[in-house]
Amino acid sequence: MKRIAALTIALLLAGMASAQTLTVWVWDINKPALESTIASFQEMHPGAEVVVEDLGNQNVYDRGLAGCAAGGFDMPDVYLVENNEAQVFWSQFPDCFTDLRTLGGEELLPLFPDFKWAELTEGDAIFAVPYDSGPTAIFYRTDLYEQAGIDPTSIQTWADFREAGTALNTTFDGTVKMGAIGKGQDDEWFRMLANQAGCFYFDEAGTEITVNQPGCVSAMETMKDLWDASVLHPAGWVEQIQFLQNDAQASSFFGSWYGGTLTAEMPAEQAGSWGVYLTPALEPGGVRASNLGGSALAIPASSDNPELAYDFVVNALADEENQLEILFEYGLTPSLLSLQGNPALNQGVDFFGGQAIWQDILGTLGDVPAVSGTQFFQEARNVMIVVVNDYLDGNYASAQEALDQAAQQIAASTGLPIAD
Amino acid sequence: MTPPKSPRRVRRSTLAPYLFLAPFFAMFAVFWVYPIAYSFVLSFLNTRRRPWTFDPDFNWGRLVQDEFFWNALQNTMIILVVQVPLMLAFATLLAVAFGSDLLKAKGFFRFAFFAPLVLGAVPYSAVFRLIFNEQYGILNFGLTSIGLPSVPWLFESTPALITIMIAMTWRWTGYNAIILLSGLQSIPLALYEAAKIDGAGPLQRFFRITIPMLRPVLLFTFVLSTIGTLQLFTEPWLITNTGPGNATETLVTYLYKQGFRSFNFGYASAIAYTVAIIAAIFSLLQIRLVGGREVDR
Repeated sequence: MKRIAALTIALLLAGMASAQTLTVWVWDINKPALESTIASFQEMHPGAEVVVEDLGNQNVYDRGLAGCAAGGFDMPDVYLVENNEAQVFWSQFPDCFTDLRTLGGEELLPLFPDFKWAELTEGDAIFAVPYDSGPTAIFYRTDLYEQAGIDPTSIQTWADFREAGTALNTTFDGTVKMGAIGKGQDDEWFRMLANQAGCFYFDEAGTEITVNQPGCVSAMETMKDLWDASVLHPAGWVEQIQFLQNDAQASSFFGSWYGGTLTAEMPAEQAGSWGVYLTPALEPGGVRASNLGGSALAIPASSDNPELAYDFVVNALADEENQLEILFEYGLTPSLLSLQGNPALNQGVDFFGGQAIWQDILGTLGDVPAVSGTQFFQEARNVMIVVVNDYLDGNYASAQEALDQAAQQIAASTGLPIAD
Repeated sequence: MTPPKSPRRVRRSTLAPYLFLAPFFAMFAVFWVYPIAYSFVLSFLNTRRRPWTFDPDFNWGRLVQDEFFWNALQNTMIILVVQVPLMLAFATLLAVAFGSDLLKAKGFFRFAFFAPLVLGAVPYSAVFRLIFNEQYGILNFGLTSIGLPSVPWLFESTPALITIMIAMTWRWTGYNAIILLSGLQSIPLALYEAAKIDGAGPLQRFFRITIPMLRPVLLFTFVLSTIGTLQLFTEPWLITNTGPGNATETLVTYLYKQGFRSFNFGYASAIAYTVAIIAAIFSLLQIRLVGGREVDR
């Protein structure tokens, strides 16, 4: 009897403790970024604890899907989801996440741009709050460019980028490359370049496959041009960081959030010798903006404390001060509309040699075409990783042929029609 | 003189063993029979969108013409045909060495070769990724320092597949060697002595006595390794990330992606049944071919 009573008390205590503790699943730089908002959150809710766990990007997605499939088992209180990947949750498991309208979420709608909401709402329901965006840019090493005599302002197009890469190859005997591509590992380059050309796997409504349209073809041809000129390392996420740390790579093409990764991962002696310039255009005078990634925070329906979780999310994402800190300390680009034009953005960033990079990068956001990841994002991505790899290896006669093949594959796996 | 049993007692006594077995059968029904049966049903459903609809051609028709599936099958078969026989040949030689009187500290060596299996799959894969790193890995460092070219192990198709095979061999050879060793130890020593007296050399003894006597155990390891290879997941998933492209995609990594990345349970089930059918065919073939004579006796 005594033991049972003790056990009951222990369980009650454990229950009370967890009643005040929020768990948050994130990846990479988001951990310290969200942790930086905990102090201000605790001012509103003294005694509330927040545990932010870094599971890695793919694991958060995989475990979230598995948890939802199991009916909301083993889920955190706050869940970080990539915009592009979000719709599979809402369409396959509409009951797995809390409709934020039940917590007053409609107050957030005017605070963020429409293109961010497109993938986070389903019908009337609001399933997640926009976090960061991923306007793309080139991050580059000012010292390495200088040694090779490359002037970043003269890089206007991808052809210029290739020529600079050739100069770099000559200067460093091929040991330092202009960039890196996750060949056969991921298709980020394709998505960034295609987005720039206004093309994507699917049309904006997410009802047709558009991956073999002209914009995507020119994205493929640009990649092949760079690859054949040997100005890119083949490298996955980890390998790319190794190259950069070892001075073997002079620039990186990614979403703006990569700035945070650089700040966190690069050795101290590289601080100050980084800079940023806008994404080169596909043809002279073309668009110099695109978007890669960007994420949002959702609240699983299984959370014991949805109100507390909601307050945490709103405090982290809709508070100007917290968002500015996340931007300047961790390099994650805010989606919060009220920050645009904020004088704080003119501030130089030490890691980037005092350049006011955020003003430059945020300035491109308006030019980014909206896309819909749809619930089939992962299918299409798995197809494109393979097709891009095989195309770069020269296994297709033309980019058009490669993409027609990809469209067929995506159609077979999604059941969606291919656009004319 | 035994009293006639009452019908009730008979029933109760026959019921008892079933009651003891019931917990297992309940578990077996819930966690084995049900998913096996349900995934069979799923393979005929279009699970792309809710509500799921009956459409046998959607998954099975796709399977036949899905190039990615055939590529995964081909990769799996290459590994099966190349890696499994090589590994078992190594394992047999190792087993003979383990059993040899010439070897000192047998316990240590047996453990050392078995140790890879004790190690967790994740740290082992992470270390292999480092070893096979193109620029900073120790393997390429070794190759270049003896004048050989450095190999892009993880970023080109054939080297990536070879990487997977090397990793699997490292992990499983010792395990198979221990099984083979137990088979080796059951061969009567008298056979060797008699052969020696008749003038058979060590090679002759190996091929005429050891191998034939090991046949049942070899068959066992062969079937186990075949099924293991058909279910191969860990190495391509963690070491090469099934890449570059789909160069190290296997049947089960493809199944996993369809099921748990894309959430297409119907298609994943169709793949699962195909893997099971292939495994059954291979096992039967091997038993017929390798174990045939054993059965005749």
